[in-house]
Amino acid sequence: MTASPTSSSVPASDSEAPVRKPRLGVFKFASCDGCQLSLLDLEDELLAVAGAIDIAYFPEARTAMLPGPYDLSLVEGSISSPEQLEQVQEVRRQSRFLVTIGACATAGGIQALRNWADSAEYLRAVYARPEYIRTLETSTPIAAHVRVDFELRGCPISKEQLLEVITAFAVGRRPNVKDESVCLECKRRGTVCVVVARGMPCLGPVTHAGCGALCPAYDRGCYGCFGPRERANTGSLAGRFREGGAGEPELVRLFRGFTGYAEAFRKESEAHEPQ
Amino acid sequence: MEVEVKAEAKEDARSTVRAIDRDGLERLLGLLREEGYRTIGPTVRDGAIVYDEIESVRDLPAGWKDEQAPGRYRLVRRPDDALFGHVVGPISWKAFLFRPRETLTAAARGEGGALEFRRAPFEPERAAFIGVRSCDLAAIAVQDTVFTGGPYVEPRYAALRRAAFIVAVNCLESGALCFCASMGTGPRARRGFDLALTEIEGRFTVEAGSDAGRRLLERLGAEEARAEDAARVEEGTARCAASMAKRMDPAGLPELLLGNLDHPRWDEVAARCLACANCTMVCPTCFCSTVEETSDLTGSSAGRVRVWGSCFTEEHGKVHGGSYRPEIKDRYRQWLTHKLASWVPQFGTSGCVGCGRCIAWCPVGIDITEEVAAIRASPGPVPDVQGLPLAPVPSPLPAPRAPAASSVEEDLVPRPAAVTAAVRETPDTVTLHVRPPQGFSFRPGQFNMLSLPGVGEVPISISGWDGTAVEHTIRAVGPVTRQLAALRPGQELGMRGPYGSSWPVDEAKGCPAWVVAGGLGLAPLRPLVRELIGRPEDFPEVRLIGGSRTPGDILFVREILGWIGRRNLQTHLTVDRAGPDWRGSIGVVTQLLDDASIEGVYFVCGPEIMMRFAVRRILEAGVPPQRVYVSMERNMKCAAGFCGCCQYGPLFVCKDGPVFRYDSVAYLFERSGF
Ligand code: SF4
Ligand code: SF4
Ligand code: SF4
Ligand code: FES
Repeated sequence: MTASPTSSSVPASDSEAPVRKPRLGVFKFASCDGCQLSLLDLEDELLAVAGAIDIAYFPEARTAMLPGPYDLSLVEGSISSPEQLEQVQEVRRQSRFLVTIGACATAGGIQALRNWADSAEYLRAVYARPEYIRTLETSTPIAAHVRVDFELRGCPISKEQLLEVITAFAVGRRPNVKDESVCLECKRRGTVCVVVARGMPCLGPVTHAGCGALCPAYDRGCYGCFGPRERANTGSLAGRFREGGAGEPELVRLFRGFTGYAEAFRKESEAHEPQ
Repeated sequence: MEVEVKAEAKEDARSTVRAIDRDGLERLLGLLREEGYRTIGPTVRDGAIVYDEIESVRDLPAGWKDEQAPGRYRLVRRPDDALFGHVVGPISWKAFLFRPRETLTAAARGEGGALEFRRAPFEPERAAFIGVRSCDLAAIAVQDTVFTGGPYVEPRYAALRRAAFIVAVNCLESGALCFCASMGTGPRARRGFDLALTEIEGRFTVEAGSDAGRRLLERLGAEEARAEDAARVEEGTARCAASMAKRMDPAGLPELLLGNLDHPRWDEVAARCLACANCTMVCPTCFCSTVEETSDLTGSSAGRVRVWGSCFTEEHGKVHGGSYRPEIKDRYRQWLTHKLASWVPQFGTSGCVGCGRCIAWCPVGIDITEEVAAIRASPGPVPDVQGLPLAPVPSPLPAPRAPAASSVEEDLVPRPAAVTAAVRETPDTVTLHVRPPQGFSFRPGQFNMLSLPGVGEVPISISGWDGTAVEHTIRAVGPVTRQLAALRPGQELGMRGPYGSSWPVDEAKGCPAWVVAGGLGLAPLRPLVRELIGRPEDFPEVRLIGGSRTPGDILFVREILGWIGRRNLQTHLTVDRAGPDWRGSIGVVTQLLDDASIEGVYFVCGPEIMMRFAVRRILEAGVPPQRVYVSMERNMKCAAGFCGCCQYGPLFVCKDGPVFRYDSVAYLFERSGF
């Protein structure tokens, strides 16, 4: 899965078509709602957004829900129940351009930790009547089930980037969301590297940019919440942390966070599990 | 070229050496601020010594030293309270001259869709850089060449550079990762400063290196330095040079590295390298950038922002969907060969000044000097052919560019230009006729930068001139080209150009001229064909060979049919597949090159893979490589030699190309990863 839209999937605004506002749908699967609320968080820009696009389906924000199809769909959450498996197919059918938002939708989210455990056992431990709970063995990203046109990473996503994706869609450009390491953002803002100057483990070198290198600016290592970037050389980075004193359990925890089920991080954490 | 003039003035400065104490230094900072300079110098922040605004001597890192090792940096206390008892940190002066984010242009779409482009407002701040080390003086000189050495001058860099006042500091103790001595860039600051300080036992000798520096010294009214103080500066810096443990042998690096592009060491380092780009961010000479398009939700006001980029990103080598440097190995090799090899023919110097930053700030501690030493220790596997040199040296390396006599300030601001006609060529390709905003002349093979505010800018080759408008043949493959291809007559776009080299038409005078096109590659060749067939007395024998996927993909069909019967033109078209109506050939273009004439001059353009096969066939026929020309495509953001994205080995496709004589690209042409 790449983060940039394939060239064929970015719509061009046809200047001769009658002016019709693009229709937006916001959908949610297994998630905390934090990401879609970023849309409401866009206080200052929300009016402009509502002026440029027609918010047709957004259960959090309006009661009247208009049926599809939608020009732009924002999809939050992972697939973790049998019903969701079917719903996501319907969302795809109704959507011209489908954008997944947040770590749950793009990588399976923190709930994907159960993918390494026995979920029946979890259910027995958590619920009094586990037989009422219908769930899948795994929590998986949307892209594991349907074609995704663009992924917006983060836990939660940044509202500036959400605005950029919506604007880019409306104007017809490729969103300014770069598939490159967090290190570039860190250096552009002049933050001192916490790996080199403090010896902290930091996933910045293998993590997709987009947060603006927030954690290192507050003196902590990157947790990788934006998920792996292209060509994430996790093995080399893990080796460096091991030399710095990190044990295998710590390495498992490091790579198994909010986006731990994304392939590059999943493989790396599995490589450090006891055999 | 004011920047260079200033540098020269600095060089022939009379030597004026004064001595001051800490109070004197405080007064010096005060005078600079009085003269309107923002004073920027070393200061402690977040566990490192960074360059930031300093208000007084108290902000300097008194008594701190930076201990450095590959991938490791720690501040420790010194036994004394020296202000400059450290070396270089993660920030370099480029952050103040070639700034990490810079808005280039602003655009607005008015009533009725009319476009307006403006150069973004720019106030060059007057900054005084306090504590510039000798390696960093050399790095500034390197970036001066990159941004002001021509053919274009980057106006923002040039303005900031002209406004800067440089206070250098001589190094008396080297850091563990410094190797300026072996690169010939330090530790003694010899040129390129306004003032240079040497800190000896709590006092400073100050020498002036420019008129501005001398004037400031006069105002400071400091006492003359004693002769022995001056002598201690020379001794101290010499001792520092002698003690420098790290070194890199710069001799013959271009040949060594470009001659060992298949060395196993590249795989070995690629296994460790994270492609995180930290080395390029901290390197004081790296100059690559990319561009972000911004706009409001309606696209009526938009901007273009330049941000630091790096050859370690995938985007750097990306052209509609594909990447020319997909592997980490390709990217590390680009970095090392650019810094130490390609830089020399590009700019006449090495791209490395020996500051050691890339070694300290690489999270996995990859050491540029060790990588070079490893390749030097075992240059390539010896080819199993007698008589071949040990390492196939690309020869000759392109010569350094001559100093630009006619550099122009390239403000990168497009001008609005109106579409006069849009002609559909194939289902996905359109020729836009665009009336140029002002007098316009171009040579066949050149390109324009076309843009739509808030959407993007792309290089498009010029496919002709219809008498009043420039023709551009555009295939809709990405967001920008798709919207360009959808423009209608009367609508406006942004245009700047023309840029780049052209087909050397006259080289073919009196010879058979072979024009070999694959797909869209016919677009930049069409103005050439028009010129060739229009001058039958000079070009008695022109052959056009064109390949496309299907008959429906052939460009300019009507015009090509109109050429039938021209005395001096023979046309052969071939397609990959076709229905029963097709009367031309089926198959690749190479089959139409079987009778390639040894006297011919060849102009080739198309997808790289097609060009490889075509050129191979032409050379097999015995045609000397000097008679073959190819047109290359790479990622282009600036078209002026600034963004670094279009590099092809030592060449810039935007300013050295896109048209190259084959022998100048031969040793790269058959490889991938560049
Ligand atoms: S390549 Fe490394 S040592 Fe050389 S100038 Fe750049 S950062 Fe300094
Ligand atoms: S291409 Fe050269 S200048 Fe650009 S980032 Fe890479 S090494 Fe630095
Ligand atoms: S050499 Fe080091 S700093 Fe540079 S990209 Fe590779 S891992 Fe990052
Ligand atoms: S350097 Fe920017 S396009 Fe060539």
